[in-house]
Amino acid sequence: MSENRSESETGILAVDVSGLSDHVTDAETRESAARERREKLRMFLTNWQGLTGLILVAVFFASAIFAPWLAPYDPNALDVPARLSGPTLDHLAGTDQLGRDTLSRILFGGRVALKIAAIGVSVALTVGLILGMIAGFGPRWLDSLLLLVFDTVRSFPTIVLALATVALTGPSLAVVLAIVIITSIPQYARVARTATLTLRNTDFILAERSLGASMTRTLLHHVMPNVVGPLLILAAMDVPVVVTVEAGLSFLGLGVTPPTASWGTILNEGYLVIRDAPWMVIAGGIPLILTTLGFTFLGEALRDIFDPRMGKGR
Amino acid sequence: MKQTETTRRGFLGTTAALGAVGLIPSWTTAVFAQTGGTLRLRIGRDNNVLDPGFMTGNSEIEAQKQCLPFLAQYTRDGETFTWEPTYFVTKLEQRDATHIDFELAEGLQWSNGYGPVTASDVKYSYERMKETDWSGYFDALDHVEATSERTGTIVLNKPFAPFIMITLCHGPGAVLSEKAMADAGGKFTTKFPAVCGPYTYEATPGQRAVFSANPDWNGPKPAFERVECNVITEIKAAELAFEAGELGCTRVGADTLARYTKDMPDGAGIAVAGELQYMWMGMNTQHPKLQDIRVRQAIQHAVDVDTILQGAYSGTTAKSYGIICPGLIGQRDSAGYSYDPEKARALLAEAGVSGLELTLRTLNNQERMLTAQIIQANLAAVGITLNVLPLDSGPFWEMGQESKGETWKELELWLMRFGTTPDPYEASQWFTSNQVGVWNWERWTDEEFDRLYEEGINETDPQARHDIYVRMQEIMDNTGAYVWINHEPEAFVHSSGVTVNAAPSGELNYRRFAKG
Repeated sequence: MSENRSESETGILAVDVSGLSDHVTDAETRESAARERREKLRMFLTNWQGLTGLILVAVFFASAIFAPWLAPYDPNALDVPARLSGPTLDHLAGTDQLGRDTLSRILFGGRVALKIAAIGVSVALTVGLILGMIAGFGPRWLDSLLLLVFDTVRSFPTIVLALATVALTGPSLAVVLAIVIITSIPQYARVARTATLTLRNTDFILAERSLGASMTRTLLHHVMPNVVGPLLILAAMDVPVVVTVEAGLSFLGLGVTPPTASWGTILNEGYLVIRDAPWMVIAGGIPLILTTLGFTFLGEALRDIFDPRMGKGR
Repeated sequence: MKQTETTRRGFLGTTAALGAVGLIPSWTTAVFAQTGGTLRLRIGRDNNVLDPGFMTGNSEIEAQKQCLPFLAQYTRDGETFTWEPTYFVTKLEQRDATHIDFELAEGLQWSNGYGPVTASDVKYSYERMKETDWSGYFDALDHVEATSERTGTIVLNKPFAPFIMITLCHGPGAVLSEKAMADAGGKFTTKFPAVCGPYTYEATPGQRAVFSANPDWNGPKPAFERVECNVITEIKAAELAFEAGELGCTRVGADTLARYTKDMPDGAGIAVAGELQYMWMGMNTQHPKLQDIRVRQAIQHAVDVDTILQGAYSGTTAKSYGIICPGLIGQRDSAGYSYDPEKARALLAEAGVSGLELTLRTLNNQERMLTAQIIQANLAAVGITLNVLPLDSGPFWEMGQESKGETWKELELWLMRFGTTPDPYEASQWFTSNQVGVWNWERWTDEEFDRLYEEGINETDPQARHDIYVRMQEIMDNTGAYVWINHEPEAFVHSSGVTVNAAPSGELNYRRFAKG
């Protein structure tokens, strides 16, 4: 089987060339693919970082999705007489300044992080993929224009952009989401563009074009399948960034508004009473650290598997 | 030789480990140090305008008190404040209702060769203030007569009992060198044209303001030769700096005040400057959602102020019943409403209001945000959905002013705190009819209130003044536009080697600090 692999910006592009291998039988192809999948699964199962990451990510998803059932209390229920009480059997992670159960707020805070990560990353990935492919496959002037836009957006520090936006609109979850999406699009788009540029002059794309395929069909059916893989790995690596951006903005009071629980607001409230109630900062910080590590480990492991050249020691 | 390589994974692992170690709680042992003659303090921001006519206030007033002459200063009289002449005068007497005689002390010299401090400097300084941003403090001033080089008379245009207390003792009462001001072009910002006081002033933006002993000063020496005021924006960072022995004194927040009151660190003490601040939740009486007074009254009954005092202020502040602060003439011990959610629901039903959704705007700091969340829960209990909108100080202080944009039209509810001086007149001036769209963001007018305001200024009998200000607060209650919350003290933690001196409105006066 011929292999035509090119290196993208991140060096993780793998090209699907199965459509050109006429001399290889379908059975052989399927067997080869299955063997490759088994090998990748074996690599993953023997990678302790990947497994740890997978477990942490699974815990993150499960706790966020099932928070209404797992949380022992209403996260917004006030109990001022019980304010700042330490960890007990009733309140495993103690209570905050208003007597709210910290564990319940952490579980519900995970939902905010999940929502921001899921929506933010998927929208940024989709838009970035489309724009990147258009830049890479379209006319040169469009490529230059889109690159200029990407670079302009990337030149804004996220926090400064957030401060400016919040000053105009006021803080809200929607604003955080918009900032995450806007600042994330360029990195996906740039990777997609580079990969598309590499593909546009390959034999199978030229053959497709010479047979009269439209640009849309070429992009959707031939370019996108080869570009989306690396972007998915990039997305896995991007989730912890997005989660910490949300927590950071909420910590600064630029994110979710009260009484919504977020890990950032829990950390902020805990920081203010750290000498009286250190468990708030600890309880708010642990899920943030574990989630960040989980997605990072998982992303690293996936990258190792899908691009063996990006091996250990990098 | 073994080579150590830093890899991305190694970095992540090390960072995670260090982070975990960092989460292990640790408590430092507080060490309080005063090295030699230097006192280290905190200011919350840079002093941008030191000119008394155009300053913002607070630490700028503190700087003026060290470097400029004042005719009067605050002094404690038991639980209340009164005034006394400063070192700069040998005489300060109210001859009659409209004349205040003064005589400057001998030998007072301006720096930079601007000669002696004269009565004409006093005349220039006070008459100039009538044309400045702080002119409200000099409304009652007619003119100043300089009768000799060191004597003069302050002439008021109407009897105004609190003039010495609220004007001469406060920042606007600073005296400037007329000649130095002429050379400076009539205004100044971050550098005094000439000083006359125990300290000179020098500031490095973003870092510190330093007060050094003034070599030309021949008056009483201050306890500390040098005072360093470090710019520390976050009050929590300042508290930690104090506990680490880096500061000799700093303002503390409500929760820290509660902690220190319960368990005072060794070698530290607490000084409370006064409770001359009043906080309330205001309602825009002209907003369509709040035009019905029954809705406003329902909100008054729905808010549990006692829970706010415990939850947001750790029980360290006094409950408020109006704009008049503890220790002042006119203070009340009850308001015209009480916490009664049932009554709140009944009033809303009577007004035919359901599904009401309102927005509460507040400064984005710990106490206000906690207060807002308690109010949010209180209003939810009577069927009102409250959205909390935290704001930075810039947009917050402009939102109700008609001259600053259109936001005042959208204002519904807000949390507000004003500071005041030790006379009830000062607090009442912001709610008269001519303040609508300026500082009267509740946007109501009342002829009786305006009349009583004038009477309060002119009245000298304490009981009569008390009755006037109590009635004015009743009128405010009756608008339904206020939920009184608290009077928050300005509290300072200090090394036991330092005796703090602060104005009732919270400004520190370093020249009057003492050791031990």
